[in-house]
Amino acid sequence: MRYVIKMNRQGLSEINFRNKMDLVWTVAVARFKTLARYKGWLIMDVSIPIVFAALPVLLGMALGGANAASNFSTNLQELTGASTENFQIYMLIGANVFMIVSNSLWQVGFWIRRERMTGTLETIYLAPASRLLVLAGVSLYANLRSILVFFISFTIGCLIFGVQPFQGQFLLAILFLLAGLIPLWGVSFFFGSIVMKLKEANAIINVVQLGISFLMGVYFPIEIFPKVLQWVALSFPPTWMTNGVRSSILGLSYFLDQWYLDFAVLWLFALLFPIMGLFAFQRIENSIKKNEGVGHF
Amino acid sequence: MSSAVNLERPGKINKPIIKIEKMSKTFVSKDRKGVFKGKMKKVEALKEVDLEIMEGEIFGLLGPNGAGKTTLIKCLTTLLLPTSGQAEINGYNLMKEDNMVRTSMGCMLMGERGMYWKLTGRENLDYFGALYHIPKPVRKKKIDELIDLLKLQDFMDRTVETYSSGQKMILAFAKALINEAPILVLDEPTVTMDVHAARELREIVKDLNAKGHTILYTTHIMQEAEELCDRIAIIDKGIIMAIGTPEELKMMVEHEDIVTVEGIISKDAVLALKSIHGVKDSIITSEKNGLSVISVTCENSREILPGIIETITRHGGRIELISPETVSLEDVFIKLTGRSLSTDTREVIKEEKSGQN
Ligand SMILES: Nc1ncnc2c1ncn2[C@@H]1O[C@H](COP(=O)(O)OP(=O)(O)OP(=O)(O)O)[C@@H](O)[C@H]1O
Ligand SMILES: [Mg+2]
Repeated sequence: MRYVIKMNRQGLSEINFRNKMDLVWTVAVARFKTLARYKGWLIMDVSIPIVFAALPVLLGMALGGANAASNFSTNLQELTGASTENFQIYMLIGANVFMIVSNSLWQVGFWIRRERMTGTLETIYLAPASRLLVLAGVSLYANLRSILVFFISFTIGCLIFGVQPFQGQFLLAILFLLAGLIPLWGVSFFFGSIVMKLKEANAIINVVQLGISFLMGVYFPIEIFPKVLQWVALSFPPTWMTNGVRSSILGLSYFLDQWYLDFAVLWLFALLFPIMGLFAFQRIENSIKKNEGVGHF
Repeated sequence: MSSAVNLERPGKINKPIIKIEKMSKTFVSKDRKGVFKGKMKKVEALKEVDLEIMEGEIFGLLGPNGAGKTTLIKCLTTLLLPTSGQAEINGYNLMKEDNMVRTSMGCMLMGERGMYWKLTGRENLDYFGALYHIPKPVRKKKIDELIDLLKLQDFMDRTVETYSSGQKMILAFAKALINEAPILVLDEPTVTMDVHAARELREIVKDLNAKGHTILYTTHIMQEAEELCDRIAIIDKGIIMAIGTPEELKMMVEHEDIVTVEGIISKDAVLALKSIHGVKDSIITSEKNGLSVISVTCENSREILPGIIETITRHGGRIELISPETVSLEDVFIKLTGRSLSTDTREVIKEEKSGQN
């Protein structure tokens, strides 16, 4: 004769704040462990933005020769009302902030794609944990990795170009950097949901990256654009992030004249974008479950 | 017969832990032809499935490829939204309390897929434990326990990319056990294991069941279902064809069985055998040194066997060997899914049950 042995109805699960935060951290740590098992990632990560900055710096020197710096300064003054001769740092900041944006998209978008292929996305969907916590863990990883790379790459880049890295209001620059990361979560969730739906990441990532690098003013002030395009660029958080970092380090002009106004706009974005991104993600998630399920790719 | 069934069967356990009502799932997919051409096509993977799985039982879902086993399990584990229908799992509504449904189950669904190849087995289990919101110290203890139970010591601290196929399967099994859920859902867990490993896994499944886990087990291997399961549902083309204990299912097959009996058997006995209800024929196939071999054709050897023995001994015979040809689930299966059975098999089961009491 057999009897039913009463089991704990929820097994070992204990859904509380502490265990939720533990999950975010565990996901981020797992991603770092995986990264560490690929050799040479840091060298790659650090050198790409330096090369990206070297392109316009060398082009500028080829075109402007000895006058490169002063030409740059004059034109910048005309366009934005403030200027600097330090075009090397200008380009380095542009390239490095772009790398942060690009990495956020890659690491989230490509992450979903890869998890779907390996079947681990299905494992995540089998568990009670909110997908948002897992996404938060991946974003945390992407952000920490980006910031680490930013400092190393920026410092080495400055040394290579022979300019002083830590100048201007460096602390303010860091604040702009951190504030800019939050709306990026929203953008990457949005991006992730597109990848979920279309199942193909590479083509989208390429197109999106091209568009972003063009609009956010990696190599030039967006005031160079026609008015309409300027408005499009201004609706995109990385544009404000780049400009904020540049202006605080190089003493350039803010879009809204005062640093705290620009900062406030970034925080507004930080509120809006994640909500929009999550909304899109949940819509797409539901439509996928209605049909083929997350295990298909 | 009926008393034997009741002893083996968890008859005292009759509270359903999984209740499925009229669950259907229709996939819409594109038949692709060339680059641009395509035609929308509907696949009805589940058709109004009704099923109750009782607390504490090992329930088998037996069906050929494409029968809808995985689809049913994906719907129950919230990976897919059913097109229509309802389910209650562990007392939670599948649609409204999906998070609670997920905490109620430990799942092994996609074989060796679904693991991080660049992480070690231990790191994988820790990650999955975190996904179930298991507190870190509890997780650690549980992982050590699983390593002992499943004998994972040798490869636990290597990255999964170095594992053999069987080792990956065992890790996937460990993953299903990490949250100690009351319900275990195993979708063809032994599919890439060798005979030995598969047997070991089945033994562990039995132990887990004895500890109180309800188990939902899909397979297309009859012997596995027969050995393991308290009750089995046979599914084909999205329809549950029959539900019952292995014995009940076998009883459904009206089979011409042949029982071979060897021993000292008189002619009278052979004649008397013919008059037993259910025996169709009984003949002597060989006689040597006073020892006869007879062959009894009957509808159901299991039911008739006691009668045969009794009749022969009553006529002063002595039996040395009986070899009944047994009905296997395979026969049931062929009967049901070989499209030869046109009547509704669920009705047949009802009749069998009421006839037994
Ligand atoms: N995403 C999908 N799109 C279209 N059809 C699907 C999809 N997933 C499953 N099917 C179809 O649904 C039916 C049931 O498939 P399912 O995977 O549930 O079978 P199964 O019983 O698990 O088979 P197996 O023993 O081969 O694992 C099959 O005909 C299958 O082709
Ligand atoms: Mg299957």
